[in-house]
Amino acid sequence: MIHVYLPDMGENVTKATISYWYFESGAAVTEGSDLVEVATDKATFNVPAPCSGTLIEIAAHEGDVVHPGDVLATIEEDTVVEGEENEGLNDNV
Amino acid sequence: MKSPVLFRKQTQTYAAPRILDAGLLAFEEALALQRKIVAEVISGWGNETLIVCEHPPVVTYGRRTRMENILVGPQVLLAAGIGLYAVDRGGDVTYHGPGQLVLYPILDLRRRGRDVHFYLRQLELCVINALREHYGLNAYRKQGLTGVWVGPYKVASIGVGVKNWVTYHGVALNVVNDMAPFEMIRACGGNGQMAAIASFFKDEDLPIQEVKGCLIESFRKVFFQDGGGPAR
Repeated sequence: MIHVYLPDMGENVTKATISYWYFESGAAVTEGSDLVEVATDKATFNVPAPCSGTLIEIAAHEGDVVHPGDVLATIEEDTVVEGEENEGLNDNV
Repeated sequence: MKSPVLFRKQTQTYAAPRILDAGLLAFEEALALQRKIVAEVISGWGNETLIVCEHPPVVTYGRRTRMENILVGPQVLLAAGIGLYAVDRGGDVTYHGPGQLVLYPILDLRRRGRDVHFYLRQLELCVINALREHYGLNAYRKQGLTGVWVGPYKVASIGVGVKNWVTYHGVALNVVNDMAPFEMIRACGGNGQMAAIASFFKDEDLPIQEVKGCLIESFRKVFFQDGGGPAR
């Protein structure tokens, strides 16, 4: 399981407000895609999914105030089964 | 409590930005253009870019906007020829229209210290320096707020988005635009009366192209040359 943390957004950014979740709990997410938007001062900041997998828990909800380092969500990472990978390769031969 | 770091000397220089002077551009077209360039910059294939444009009349609001800050109904806006658009930027409700210059910098903050609030202060500095150095206006920022003021009037509003550390949206400076539509909203959540900088030059023309040139020059200095310096 991979935790999604609020990153450090700069020297004077001590908190942010969760403004929008792009996915609901249980959804499949792709590494690098927008996962959650937070707002601070006059800026919005998109936190991307750190890995591909299933969003199994949202720990901070829209309107919640969060701080750098706080856990926002948990993702169950996709695992590649060796057999399946080989099968795919064989199909291309 | 630590005092805020408003200025930081950049230790490296950057390749010249691409400047896109888009003239009068519909808000949604500007947004689509920004998204395209943001994706290119994130991928590493695109140049950092400044889009400069004016918009046909439109009211825009962010996800955190309280809808009561739009003081009239959609039908009233429609009848006045003003569009209404929800956007994914920071900040509250605002108005854009011809005669207002809008700067949309698409910059890679991964190369610029990864500091969102410092970026907001740099945007303010672009406007402050241009208005002070070229027009002698005592432009300033207010502690704890975002934007640029001259006297008691707010002249520039800022609202940005950051995606994978690449910026979009930006700053709008009221130059010669009609300020009446601002009466239809509680702009930026109501923190201060708005004004166009033309109102500080009685009986004088203020060519918008000249102001645009000053802003672009200031933008280059702040983000691509010496990192700016403290506002006096």
